[in-house]
This record gives sequence, C-alpha cells and structure tokens, in this order.
Amino acid sequence: MSPPAAETGRVSPGEPPRRAGSTRRDPYVLLAIALLLLVLRIGFVIREARQRARAGDGASEVVDRVAWRPLNVGLAESRATGRPLLLDFTADWCPPCRLMQSEIFADPGTAAELNRRFVPVRVLDRAREDGRNAPWVDSLQARFRVGAFPTLVITRPDGEAPVRIEGYLGRDFTLGRIEDARLHLRVQDMVPPAGARQ
Amino acid sequence: MIPAIILATLRQRFTSPMRLVILVAAVWISLIPVLVSPGSGFAMIGDCYFLALALAAGMIGEDVSSGTLQLLLARPVTRRQYVFSKWVAVAGGTSLVVVAQLLLAALVIALRGASVSWGGAALLLANDVLLAFGISAVMSLLSALVPGLGDLGLLFLAFLSTQVLGGLGSLKSWGALERATQELQRVLKPELNVWPLLHGDPASPAAVASYLSTVTLCLALAVMVMNRKELSYVSAGG
Repeated sequence: MSPPAAETGRVSPGEPPRRAGSTRRDPYVLLAIALLLLVLRIGFVIREARQRARAGDGASEVVDRVAWRPLNVGLAESRATGRPLLLDFTADWCPPCRLMQSEIFADPGTAAELNRRFVPVRVLDRAREDGRNAPWVDSLQARFRVGAFPTLVITRPDGEAPVRIEGYLGRDFTLGRIEDARLHLRVQDMVPPAGARQ
Repeated sequence: MIPAIILATLRQRFTSPMRLVILVAAVWISLIPVLVSPGSGFAMIGDCYFLALALAAGMIGEDVSSGTLQLLLARPVTRRQYVFSKWVAVAGGTSLVVVAQLLLAALVIALRGASVSWGGAALLLANDVLLAFGISAVMSLLSALVPGLGDLGLLFLAFLSTQVLGGLGSLKSWGALERATQELQRVLKPELNVWPLLHGDPASPAAVASYLSTVTLCLALAVMVMNRKELSYVSAGG
C-alpha cells in the first residue's frame, strides 16, 4: 500500500502543491515570538507600575488650584477681557502631565498668577481610555499641532499667534516660557495690522 | 493561508441568516446617533467589537460540530493553515462590514448637511481593523477549545471572572490584582489605538507589545490546541 499523498508530497494534476510531512507541526517560531512579546509586555507592565507609583507618591495629595474653564466659557471670557487663553493639552495616563500639575498648577501662588493673567482651559485627551476623543478635542489638537503631552498653548481668543510649549522640562523653564509667550502676545497686540500702517 | 478556506468562511458567515440579522441590526443601531447628531461626525460610532464577535463566534467550533473539519483535514491542509485562514477570513469580513458601516455613516452625515471628516473615518477604520484582527485571534483560540458556539460562553465567563477579580482587587485595594485583571481584559479585547501611535505617545511601545503578544500567543495556542485535537467521524454524529 502506498503512503498518503500528504506524506510523500506528490501532487495530482490541477491540485495545489502539497507539503510533505505532518499536518500537525507546532508553530514554534510563532510561539517563540509570542513568548518574547509576552516577556516584553510583562516588562512594560512592571515599568509602568513603578512609574505610576513614583508619580503617585507626589500626586496623590495634589489639588489643582487653577480654575480651568470649559472651552466655550473660556473663549467668551477671553474675548470679553482680552486676556490670552492658556490651553493645557493633557491626558490622565501621562506622568509628566501629573508632575506639571503637582509642581505648577497645585502651587497656590503660581495658580493665582495664572488665573489672573490668563483664561485657563484644559483639553483632556481620552483617546486611549475611550478609543476616541470628543470632536472639539481632536479639532483643537489638530489646529495647534499637538503631538505630545503635556503641551501648553498660549493664544488669543481667535487662535491667532499661538505659542506652544511642548513637554515638561521643569517648573522654572515652563513658567519662563509661559511669561515669554504672554509678552510675545502683548507685543503682537501693539503692532498694528498691515493694512493700518498705510 | 488558503484562499479557498478564506472564501468559504466568508460565504459561510455572510449567508447565515442569524448572523446577517445581527450584523444589519448592529450597523443600523450604530448609525442612529449619527442620524441624531451628524455634527459629531464619526465620533458617535462605537467600535466593531460586537460585529467581530458576531462573525467570529464558532469560527472553528462549528466546523468541528458539523463535521466539516474532519472532511477538510482529509485534504493536504495543515492545521496551522486552517487556523490562520479562519483568522484572516473573520477579521477581513469584519473589516468589510466596518467599511460599509463608515460609508453609510458618511452618507448620513453628508445628507444631513454636516462635513465628513475622512481623516476621522480612516482613523476609526484603522482602529477597527486592528481590533478585528485581535478579537479574531482570541476567538480562534476559544473556538479551538470548545465545539459549536461554546467560545462565546467561554468569553463571557472570562469577562465575568475579570470583573469579579477586578472588583475584589478594587474593594481590597490590591493593586496587583487590579492591574492583572486589567491586563486580562486587554487580552479579551485586544485593541490598539492608532492616534497615540501617530503622535508619539511615549506609552506606545507598551501598547504595541501588549496587542501583538495577545494576537501571536492566541494564534500559536490555537494551532497547538488544534494539533492535539483528535477528530473522529463517529463523534461528529454522522
């Protein structure tokens, strides 16, 4: 009796080529890749847990003292008062955002100053948690080319002459950049529009 | 992968009256929020989780129960090819339904006079295609374990267990248990959001590793389970 075609690899006319050997070979290469990825995954989970614990130590008692407004309220207030908008593009999962919150927004003096000089609006990204953001969040992120968190944007209510501060490089650096941005907007306001110069 | 198995699976899934009713109902229900609030664009459409489940349920188990698999494996088809073909067929079928769903949503949005964000649609499609391939991989493992539609029962039990364990972890403040159940839930619903990847989210490598590890592990285990499955014409009830 001749062995089955699947074992010999013989092919009948019109049939696809057959592979010789068992049809039950275990996918060892795939399994090895899967195990490697699993180890990597566990490593990431452990690292994330450590980062969270580190950030949590400082952030557990943090009270954000900045009076964040909803976007429409902030826009109206900015138009009415002439104070620039301070947009805080942030996300719950972002450790540097929590650090910025604890070092800047939780500080009573700094928060009071920010509340006095700006109209603060927080733009919270929920893409990771909810799968997608509210359209206004996506729209603002696209408009101000937000590519990382945290990003602060200081702008006029019409969205013109925005200044972006990407990432968190420490309290002094960030506060310095915020003040630079405010002065930049004031200088811009003093320059008459091109048509008015003539 | 074997195109004939992929096509046969698609034909089998899309000609099942019950599945068709579920798919059509799910797509129409997802369009209601778009109809009510067209200005929100595609943001109101949910993900393709239930669509994928409707197509994936019993993807291997039903072949075992009906005796199709026994006949199929009489051909020179390896069990690995069979599992991969089933995986691609179910994920591809779900992706096709998602494309149809998004096109219908775009039509509704345009007819209601709102602007259609094709970028948003592309992003949703990418997320849904990744989710479809993820769920198909998980269901291929569950379906290899039990005959018929038992995979849905296993999935439900697994979800229930993670909910109970997560609740217990939260109640007792056992952080490790909470984190472990979160990870298990990610295994049961493997998704990967494209938006953070495109915007340099520092946590992206972890998300990619998590997604790929679930998909590869489920597929590898599904093939191994299939390799150890003894199929008999007698037990097929013939």
